[in-house]
Amino acid sequence: MSAPPAEAPAGRRRREPWVTVGTLLLLVLTMFTVMPLAWMLVTSIKTQFAATQYPPEWFPAHPTLEEYWRLLSPASVIGQEFLGYLANSVWVSFATTALGVIVAVPAAYAFSRFRFPGRNLLFYSVLLRNMFPAVVFLMPLFIMMRWMGLVNTHASLILTYLTFGLPLSIWLLKGFYDNIPVQLEQAARIDGATRFQAFLLIVMPLSSPGIIATAIYSFIMAWNEYVYALTFVNEKSRLTLSVGLHRFFSEFATNWPGLMAASFIMSVPVVILFLFLQKYFVKALTEGAVKS
Amino acid sequence: MTGSAVSPSPARRLGLFARIYRHRADYLYVLPAIFVMLMVIAYPIYYTIYLSFFNTPPNLALEDKIFVGVDNYSRVLMSDSFHEATWNTLVWTFWSTFFAFVLGFGAAIGLNRVFPGRGLLRGVLLIPYVISAVAASYLWRWIFHSDFGVIGAITVATGLTDRPINFLDNTQYVMASLIVVNVWKEFPFAMIMMLAGLQTVPDQLLRAARVDGAGAWSRFWHITVPHVRSVMLVTVLLLLVTNLNSFTIPYIMTGGGPAGASEIWITHIYQIAFGRIRFGLASAYSVILFIVMMALGYFYVRALTHGDDKAPR
Repeated sequence: MSAPPAEAPAGRRRREPWVTVGTLLLLVLTMFTVMPLAWMLVTSIKTQFAATQYPPEWFPAHPTLEEYWRLLSPASVIGQEFLGYLANSVWVSFATTALGVIVAVPAAYAFSRFRFPGRNLLFYSVLLRNMFPAVVFLMPLFIMMRWMGLVNTHASLILTYLTFGLPLSIWLLKGFYDNIPVQLEQAARIDGATRFQAFLLIVMPLSSPGIIATAIYSFIMAWNEYVYALTFVNEKSRLTLSVGLHRFFSEFATNWPGLMAASFIMSVPVVILFLFLQKYFVKALTEGAVKS
Repeated sequence: MTGSAVSPSPARRLGLFARIYRHRADYLYVLPAIFVMLMVIAYPIYYTIYLSFFNTPPNLALEDKIFVGVDNYSRVLMSDSFHEATWNTLVWTFWSTFFAFVLGFGAAIGLNRVFPGRGLLRGVLLIPYVISAVAASYLWRWIFHSDFGVIGAITVATGLTDRPINFLDNTQYVMASLIVVNVWKEFPFAMIMMLAGLQTVPDQLLRAARVDGAGAWSRFWHITVPHVRSVMLVTVLLLLVTNLNSFTIPYIMTGGGPAGASEIWITHIYQIAFGRIRFGLASAYSVILFIVMMALGYFYVRALTHGDDKAPR
C-alpha cells in the first residue's frame, strides 16, 4: 500500500492518468475503510471511563482486555448471555448452510444441464427472488410461522434463511456447472455409469470450489441477518448475535467499550472465513454478472 | 396455458405434456428447491396481496379481519408520512448508489494492475462489506456520538465547528450521515464487481489503441467502458435494489428519527406492521414497494440474460 509503484508494469512509458487518480482514491478509501474499524478496536480496549473522555484519547493510556474477558467468561452474567447468543448464531448459520447446499446442488445442476419445459420460467423466478424486499415476506412468514408454531424457534430462522439464500446459491452453482465440460459426464456414461453416478463421481468433485464459495456466502448471510431474527425470535435464550447485541446495548446503555468488543467478536469469524477464502468469495459475488 | 404452448410447427416440437413426460426425471432435481420456494416465496406474495385488501385487528386475530377494498392503498398514498418517506427513500437510494458506484469503480481502476500488497489491500477494503450491518451500525453510532463521538471531536479540533455536532439527532444532517455509513458498507461490492469487469477488458486492445495514439480518456471511453457496460448495469441495478431494501442501518442508527427525517419505505413499513400492528395497511404499502421492485427486476433479468443470447453455450 505505502510503496509507491515505480513504473513497474508500464515499463518506461508514462503512467496512465487513470491509474494515478485510482491510486490516490485507493489511498483515501483505505483510510475511510480502516479508520472506523481501528476505532472499534481501540474503543474495545478502553475502560468505560476512558471511552467517555472529551476529547477522546487516540490510544488508551491503559489498554485493557477486561471487556473481552467478561464477554467470553461463562462465570459472568453478561458472558453467559453473550456465549448463548454466539452458540445460537453458530448453530443457525451452520444448519442453514448445510441444508442450503443440499437443496441447491441438484437444482443448479438441473438448470445447467437439462432442458425441461418451464426451465426458463423457473429460473427467472429464482432470479427475481433476489429483488423482493425482506419486509414483503416478513408479515406473511410471521403469520405462517405462528400457524406452524415455529415462532421463537431456530427452525423459523433456518427455514427463512434457507429460502432467501437459495436463489443466489442456485445461480452461483449453475455458473460453476456451466463451466464443467459435459463431455466428462458423457464419457463416464459410456463407461457404464448412470446419470446420477456421473453427477456424484465426476461433477461433484469438480464443482467443490463452487460449493465452498456458495457455502461461505450462505454462512455469512445467515450470520449477519437481522430483520427476520429481530421479528421471529423474542425469547432471550434463543436470540442470535445480531439481535443479541441490541439487547446488550439497551441494558448497558453507556458501556461502549463492551459493545465494541462484542461487535468485534461478532465480526471476527466472518472476516477470518472471508480472508482465508477470499478468492472463492469474490468469485461467488461476481459469477454470473461478469462474462469473461 | 395450453394455448400458448401450441407450437407453430408441430412436426418439429413435441406437445407440452409429452415434453414434460419425457423430462419427468429432470424435475426431481429441482423439486426440493421448488417446494421450498413455493412455500416461502409464492405463498407469502399471494398472501401479502390478499391481506392488503383487509383491515386487520391489532391483536392479529386474522379471522376477524374486515374487507375494505382498496382503502388501504388510498390511505397509504394519501398520507404525509408516505410522501416524506418516499422523498427520503429517493434521496437515500440515489446518493447511496451514486457514491458507492463511483467510489467502487474508482477503487477498481486503482486495483486493476499488479503491485505488491494488492491482494491484501483488496481483502482489507472488502471487510466493511462482509461484517454484520448490525455491528457496523453500532460502530458508526459510536463514531457519530453527540458527546464522545470521534467525528465531533475532529470537527471541533480542526475549528470547523465550535461544539460537536449531534449528527444523528439533527434533521439536517441525519440522512447524509446515514448515507456515509451505507456507502462505507457497500462501496466494496461495487469495487469487486467492477474489478471483475475490468479484468475482462483485453490488454492488447488497450495497447493497440495507445500505439495508434488514442489518449487516456479516449481509450477509457471507447474501449474500457463498452467492455464493462453490462457489468456496470448489473452493479447499479443491484445497488439500487439493495438500497431500496435497506433496513438495518437506518433502523439501528436512528429508527427513522428524528421526527421521521430518516424514515424510508422499508423502516416505515416495518414500523406500521410490527410497531403499530397494522398488517393490512403495511401489506398495501409492501405491494406498492413490490411493484417498484418488479420494474427494476425486469431490467435486472434483461441485463443478466442479455449476454446469454449472444454467447454460444
